[in-house]
Amino acid sequence: MRRLFGYEERSAAIFLAPVLAVLMGVAVFPILYSFYLSFFRIKLTRPNRTPFVGLDNYLDLFTNDLFWVSVARTVTFSVVSVAAILAISLLVSLLLNQNFRGRRVLSTILLVPWAIPYVANALMWKWIYDSGYGALNGILYQLDFIDKYMVWLGDQDKTIFLIANAFVWKEVPLATILLLVSLKAIPSDLYQAARVDGAGVWQRFIHVTLPAMKPGFMLVLIYETMMAIRHFDLFFILTEGGPGNASHVLSWHIYVETFRNLSFGSGAAMSYVLALVTFALSYTFIRSLGRKV
Amino acid sequence: MSDVPSSSTQVVDYRRRQRLARIAQRLIIFGGSILLAVYVIAPVTWLVSSSVQTEAEIVSVPPHWIPEEPTLRNFKAIFSATEEETVTYETRSGQDPAAGGFIPSTASSLLPAMANSLTVATLVVILNLLVAVPAAYSLAKIRTWGRNATVYFILITRVIPDIALVVPFFLVIRKLGMLDTIGSLVLTYLAVTVPFSVFILLQYFEGLPDELDKAARVDGCSRFQALIRVFLPLSLPSLVAVVLFTFLTSWNEFLLALMFTQTEASQTLPILLAAFTSDFTISFSFINAAGVLAIIPPVIVAIIFERYIVSGLTAGAVKG
Amino acid sequence: MAGIRFESVGKKYSNGFHAVKDLNLDIRDKEFLVLLGPSGCGKSTTLNMIAGLEEVSDGRLLFDDQMVNYMPPHRRDVAMVFQSYALYPHKTVFDNIAFGLQMRKVPREETARRVQDAADKLEISHLLDRRPSQLSGGQRQRVALGRAMVRNPAVFLMDEPLSNLDAALRISMRAEIKDLHHAMQTTFVYVTHDQAEALTLADRIVVMKDGVVQQIGTPDDIYERPQNTFVASFLGNPPINYIDGAVEVSDGETVSFVRGDLKLKFAGETARKLASSNGREIRLGIRAEDVDETRSSGEDSLIRGKVNSVLPVGSDQFLGFDFCGEELFFRVGKDLDHALGENVALSVDLSRLHVFDKASGASLIW
Repeated sequence: MRRLFGYEERSAAIFLAPVLAVLMGVAVFPILYSFYLSFFRIKLTRPNRTPFVGLDNYLDLFTNDLFWVSVARTVTFSVVSVAAILAISLLVSLLLNQNFRGRRVLSTILLVPWAIPYVANALMWKWIYDSGYGALNGILYQLDFIDKYMVWLGDQDKTIFLIANAFVWKEVPLATILLLVSLKAIPSDLYQAARVDGAGVWQRFIHVTLPAMKPGFMLVLIYETMMAIRHFDLFFILTEGGPGNASHVLSWHIYVETFRNLSFGSGAAMSYVLALVTFALSYTFIRSLGRKV
Repeated sequence: MSDVPSSSTQVVDYRRRQRLARIAQRLIIFGGSILLAVYVIAPVTWLVSSSVQTEAEIVSVPPHWIPEEPTLRNFKAIFSATEEETVTYETRSGQDPAAGGFIPSTASSLLPAMANSLTVATLVVILNLLVAVPAAYSLAKIRTWGRNATVYFILITRVIPDIALVVPFFLVIRKLGMLDTIGSLVLTYLAVTVPFSVFILLQYFEGLPDELDKAARVDGCSRFQALIRVFLPLSLPSLVAVVLFTFLTSWNEFLLALMFTQTEASQTLPILLAAFTSDFTISFSFINAAGVLAIIPPVIVAIIFERYIVSGLTAGAVKG
Repeated sequence: MAGIRFESVGKKYSNGFHAVKDLNLDIRDKEFLVLLGPSGCGKSTTLNMIAGLEEVSDGRLLFDDQMVNYMPPHRRDVAMVFQSYALYPHKTVFDNIAFGLQMRKVPREETARRVQDAADKLEISHLLDRRPSQLSGGQRQRVALGRAMVRNPAVFLMDEPLSNLDAALRISMRAEIKDLHHAMQTTFVYVTHDQAEALTLADRIVVMKDGVVQQIGTPDDIYERPQNTFVASFLGNPPINYIDGAVEVSDGETVSFVRGDLKLKFAGETARKLASSNGREIRLGIRAEDVDETRSSGEDSLIRGKVNSVLPVGSDQFLGFDFCGEELFFRVGKDLDHALGENVALSVDLSRLHVFDKASGASLIW
């Protein structure tokens, strides 16, 4: 008796057709296409010779030292950034969860880093870190922390942390907003109950606040990790992977391989690896939240 | 309580303790607020301050935190770059001996770039609404087979990293002969924005009662009419959120624009900014002014629509 | 429209939940039919299938002998009142009521006239410019009624329309809905879990449980002649009392219920139907109100026990009554004065006993 395409199914099909068409065209097809490309050696310098090379692109990848360097840089960058984002946004969300005058102004101001373009953010931090006239040098000099101006971004040991700092500054607002959601969701009688049970401020924080924030933490953790792993703009503008290969992260590596060395095949292979890593992460994300969609 | 005389010799002065705790709390909140405000505002203020300094002042060591002779010369240069004779590297000191700054010839591209950014963002917004609104309504209110699969499908497309799309995008766009066109940006930005839009709207539509949808249909609405006549008028907050997000995302996007644009015909503002930063001959204050110009529109939008943004961010992010 | 017919209709959701099973039901023209049952029994699903809001999975649903299984709601001539009222928040009261007419392309003047008419009848004319958020619960309820009324539909569907109102309003609205049915002369299908609503409003009641119809009948049928223990328990306040025991036929003609010391003699038709069931295990049902303080009736109508609790409810009182370790509840006159723990004997109205099969719960006498 049941029909496969009743009125409801027809309506749904019509309503969903545009979105499915768009996503097929601009997301699914490209991803499959890049999978296909990753089995060929494609050099734009030799457009007529694109031999099938099987898994060579992938194998080359894993024997390429620079690739492993880029993986290590990406891991460093992501771990440092995400840890800092979590710590700072935890403090900020606890602050903004209080009731005090100026709270609304403060949370509006907090949106500024989120809103500005990454390129402008990069430009701003490049100027702050500037070795000749930058604010960082200026302020440290005036406070007598340094006695001469430093070439901050030229320092192999510091550069990735400085980039991470710029990244963290821009990502903290979003993380804070997400954490605030789980903070606001804690019913106030839970705190009252804890008080009646004799829990002090610190104990209430440990036993009520922190457990309730766990889903928020997971969300921020995975979301920001995904953002950090794929981040590109800051590296392009601040350091171009340098000095040496100190900030040669994976996304930069893909960019260089594809658009400077013009080997699209291996670029595609790397893109694919990155996409798979992101998929795996988001899978854990959906899993760990156990959220019904 | 402590006022009550007690036989016990060790009366805990609760009122005093409470007062101390409250003072401590106020201090922490006050200190934290100041710290946060400085952390967020200081870098931007420094950028703005540097954008209104003359070239002579901006190279002072240590820096002038507050400009001594603020000037809007950089902004003027951007807005009149097309009319004035171009200042070149060779003539810059002759031009303005005091400032000695260099305004690049590409300064005249800034306004067209802003126009490009605006066009792309507007088109992406419109297409997003056309595509995402019916989809979200359908996913929220029409229970059919395939509904859950579609939600998961959109969820998955949402997590594809843009850098993974760059290579195939580039080859396809090139094959289509769409390199260096606004169209290539509009098309590819859809991949980045549509899933997020769908989830913001889906979250919102799911929050509207099912019975409202049923009432509309019993009242004689087809599915399409129920969406247009009942749900759309009620979903204004989420529509605003979608418009804001897609607009900001398109306005701010860099990586894809870097791949596809080459000339003034399609270059967006971030591309031009990035080009400035790598050109060592350009005046610092001019770069900073261009940066300020790129920051102003999104920041204004964010401040005006703060409420919508916060609710939209949570809805969209929680969903995926 | 002559009527609505369900022919072996089933509704199965994609998650495997079987909401309605093999439903056969004839809803007559101009009838007031109430679907009654606990939540999750399939009554709302049944209503939604009539509206077209949920598709029939098995069987056939007919309006006037025309199959409408696949007809979307906007093509059916039905109106519906929802539990949450589901008023359009962005429209004024006028536009809320007029919306269904506008969608059906009724001319503007005609629409205005009909909205005004309905508003007058419901005494909400002064609210026409307001928005739903500015109305009280009772006013919203009336707007929801008005929205359905103006349509002059072939079928008027109501899904627990009174359950969001406070108790006093609920009772007065019951009367208004009954009046509305008389005035409109159309078929009403009304879903509720409230037995009192069902008994007052219905021409016929359909009692459902777990997607299966338990009994269809007039309120009198349902209350006086329940076909199984579920129906018997669902109606009545306090609920019917059960005592398990056996049939005893002595002298070939005296048919009684026996449980230990208790012996109740069946009367008339009941006795005749059970005459050949000597020794059968049965479950005896005694409605709470079917007892009396013992006066003079014979020993074979008395039930003895100890008073456990006394709950006055204004007009009369509920007596909690310990019978052989089982708690029975009876409704007795308020002038009776019993102390807790006191032993009392109550006389049972033997003509109103209900008898069910102990294993299946099915009635043995109706």
